[in-house]
Amino acid sequence: MTAIALPAVRTKRRRSRRLPVSARIAAGVIGLVVVAVLLAPVLAPHNPTQGQLGERLAGIGTAGHLLGTDGQGRDILSRLLYGGRLSLLSGLIPVLVAAVIGTLLGLLAGLGNRFTNGAVMRTLDVFYAFPAVLLAIAIAAALGSGASNAIVALSVILIPPIARIAETETARLRGADFMEAARASGARTSSIAIRQVLPNIAPAIVVYCTALIGLCIVYSAGLSYLGLGIAPPAPEWGVMISDLQQYTFTKPELLLMPALAILVASVAFNVLGDGLGSYFNVRQEVR
Amino acid sequence: MTLYLLKRLGSAIPILIGVSIVVFITIKIIPGDPVASLLGPTSSPQARAELTARLGLDQPLPIQYLSWGAHLFQGDLGDSIAKHVPVLSLVLDAFGNTLVLATFAAVVAFVLGILLGGVSALRRGRVSAAISNAISLFSISVPQYSIGLLLIIYLATGAGLFPTAGMYDPINGGGWGDLFLHLVLPGVTAALVPAGIIARMFRSCVIDVMSMDFIDAMRSRGLSELRILKHAFHNTLPTLMTIAGLQLGYLLGGVIFVETVFSWPGLGLLVYQSITQRDLPVIQAGVIVSALAFVVINVVVDVLQAAIDPRVRA
Amino acid sequence: MSQTVQEIPARVASAEALRVDDLAVSFAVHGGQVHAVRSVSFHVRAGQTLVLLGESGSGKSVTARAIMRLHGRRAKVTGRVELSGREVLALSDPDVRALRGSRIALVPQDPTAALDPLRRVGAQITEVLLLHRAAPDKKAAQARTRELLRAVGIPDPERAYRSFPHEMSGGMRQRVVIAMGISCDPDVIIADEPTTALDVTVQAQILDLFAELQGRLNTALLMVTHDVHVAADVADLVAVMYAGRIVETGPAADVLKTPRHPYTQALLDALPTPQTARGELHAIAGSPPVAGQEFPGCAFADRCTHALDTCRTAEPRLVEVAPGRRAACPVLNPTEAP
Ligand SMILES: Nc1ncnc2c1ncn2[C@@H]1O[C@H](COP(=O)(O)OP(=O)(O)OP(=O)(O)O)[C@@H](O)[C@H]1O
Ligand code: SF4
Ligand SMILES: [Mg+2]
Repeated sequence: MTAIALPAVRTKRRRSRRLPVSARIAAGVIGLVVVAVLLAPVLAPHNPTQGQLGERLAGIGTAGHLLGTDGQGRDILSRLLYGGRLSLLSGLIPVLVAAVIGTLLGLLAGLGNRFTNGAVMRTLDVFYAFPAVLLAIAIAAALGSGASNAIVALSVILIPPIARIAETETARLRGADFMEAARASGARTSSIAIRQVLPNIAPAIVVYCTALIGLCIVYSAGLSYLGLGIAPPAPEWGVMISDLQQYTFTKPELLLMPALAILVASVAFNVLGDGLGSYFNVRQEVR
Repeated sequence: MTLYLLKRLGSAIPILIGVSIVVFITIKIIPGDPVASLLGPTSSPQARAELTARLGLDQPLPIQYLSWGAHLFQGDLGDSIAKHVPVLSLVLDAFGNTLVLATFAAVVAFVLGILLGGVSALRRGRVSAAISNAISLFSISVPQYSIGLLLIIYLATGAGLFPTAGMYDPINGGGWGDLFLHLVLPGVTAALVPAGIIARMFRSCVIDVMSMDFIDAMRSRGLSELRILKHAFHNTLPTLMTIAGLQLGYLLGGVIFVETVFSWPGLGLLVYQSITQRDLPVIQAGVIVSALAFVVINVVVDVLQAAIDPRVRA
Repeated sequence: MSQTVQEIPARVASAEALRVDDLAVSFAVHGGQVHAVRSVSFHVRAGQTLVLLGESGSGKSVTARAIMRLHGRRAKVTGRVELSGREVLALSDPDVRALRGSRIALVPQDPTAALDPLRRVGAQITEVLLLHRAAPDKKAAQARTRELLRAVGIPDPERAYRSFPHEMSGGMRQRVVIAMGISCDPDVIIADEPTTALDVTVQAQILDLFAELQGRLNTALLMVTHDVHVAADVADLVAVMYAGRIVETGPAADVLKTPRHPYTQALLDALPTPQTARGELHAIAGSPPVAGQEFPGCAFADRCTHALDTCRTAEPRLVEVAPGRRAACPVLNPTEAP
């Protein structure tokens, strides 16, 4: 009983051509924040690390101190602007490092033989057994405080999820025609990885990493808040929260400033990640 | 089913060995000479060499690992540098308190997450869905330490509704009611991020299930929408179990910020205090205990999943 | 075993189970409406089998689902669907639900996907029986479920009752779904490509089962397929669909022997015969219309070997070309000018 071989009509899987409005707004917010922290020397009204004790704990809207001053009389707006540099960087760098290493591991596992795949994936499983935040804290604590140690710790915990996504996406391509064709033409695995696989798995990784930046900003500020990341007196949003925490009951609105800064940055990256996800038609959940 | 359970337990062993190796490595990457820091800077080279030999630090790394692992296996995690008591009892006490907080937070997160995710999946394209999406997105982005502080500001000190710190009232505290009052703020704070994640995962799971053919097939058999939803929910349970396990595990290790802000005497607070005192054995033990809990949770999740989904048992 | 309607007068005389009049379905999509189905009319009597035949995308499933009112809010359905005298499109939602599964049943294409993977097969059939009160209590429903499983030719009904869907073969699953379909003794069964997902040998068994059950239950059967062999096998009547319309309809034996529409002819020409060697299939030239494509004239004109210039301007109507037969091609069926 042969069916007549007729081509199937399928409506093309629709891919939204435009980035959703929410994601554009988020990208705009991120752009603004980046420009603001880059222009900190121009925009900041005061020195971020030197304060006047006479002006300590000035409220929001005080002349000369738009967002008030902290316990040592340092201008909060200036600290926010300068601090954003460190906070954004320490949110970005671990993601970039982890993206490179994680993608390489994922490609290795996805294109390698069963043994390579098993070795890489089982090792990653071990890292999955740790609560990520706590592992980062343990590593950072072992290495000692300091911005670079916090970045190392965060990179380590971000590698496994990225590698897992890269592996899944690569494995999905394994049977694809163009891969077979490339292999049949005698291309080396490394060149297949770069020319054929990487462009295809890139969207999923980019989407995931975008949202991960938001998470990483929260985590890195958290490490500083615990005294494990960037050390005072350097201005950094997590450090600022930890500084201002003692005035929770007297001047809560001051504490609100760095908290809001972290929140805005993190929400913006998450919204952008969501938008990119629907743009590239991939969906992933961070964590 | 028993076979499945045994297989699953067996597969957890290599993971646990891996975990111990990772922790061992973190001990080894600590910069500086541990002997020197134990004996102080003025100690003689002979004294240092002696202690090095006594601690086995002159042995090759694999041997060191094996002897460390043997201690670990017997529950000997060393003594706290700051408190001079065995680390294990310290960590287990704290872990119990964390378990209370994490469980409470997990329940809150679950109820909230399923509500938000369900609304956003089933009312797609409506205002209510957009609102729940926004809430979930917001809550996954929130830094716990700052939300916790804000809750303290407005609900604890502002409105005077809840206590701001600790687990029981020191003066006339104790009992379940007191515990509950103390749980509310840290619990809600800790629940926010997992609630958002659960909402988003549950949403896509519900959308997936609702677009499966058997849902439509049930419609074609005359089942009411309510009944179809019931069967659909049943089909989300395996995924929901996975999410639950992940989030409970995340909470066990991730409440450190919340515990710090609310002075909750759990593992997180203990680890935080140990950071300040550079009490590394405590930090290591904390990591090991929560990793162990995480592995156990995963086994439990897999077993529950097998109980719900006959395809997994096969 | 193809029979003509004439050979079974008893069935012809029986009541009209399903009548579809001028059915049209369109979907709201990004930037407009897609007309998936238009001016579809046919009727099936109890005991009769009507086959909806057409290529993928021709609108067969959309028609079937519209009859059961299964389309969601994005679909606009107009026309009339009369099920044993009730106007389905005018009923309230609860009334339609009461009909589905009891008066009209759907046997879907993929039985694997149509069953709840987490529940035992028996429980899923029992649920339908209880829902439509086809059994007085749970016990009776369970007993009836076992009976049904036996009736559809499942060798070990007791075991099947307790099985999960994934534990059965595709053919057995399709039998389960058929058992569910006949459970409440419906007036009409719609089978949407019930054999496409199955092995060739199993396909024949399932078609035989349909024939057997239908003979026993005197149900009207609306079978959807893209396979001319299936149509030849089971159909009393055929309706050939192209681009969302019926282009030719009539008794199966006549339509498949002497087609009166170029598209039906092309379908038949594309069949492999014992003479044609493998790979020498006469595929129909050109590609089928894309979803939502609109045509000023005959939708088949671009692929039709008989096409004239007039075909592209005026839309051909389905007209009677012989007693009981209708076709929508004025070129092959010229009428005397009035
Ligand atoms: N929900 C929908 N929204 C938009 N277009 C739809 C929808 N459902 C079906 N269509 C379109 O209607 C047309 C007819 O589809 P239908 O499923 O009826 O085809 P079919 O004849 O059953 O083909 P197949 O053999 O592939 O099952 C298709 O072009 C399809 O793209
Ligand atoms: S109307 Fe014209 S184009 Fe259409 S089928 Fe007939 S001959 Fe072909
Ligand atoms: Mg179809």
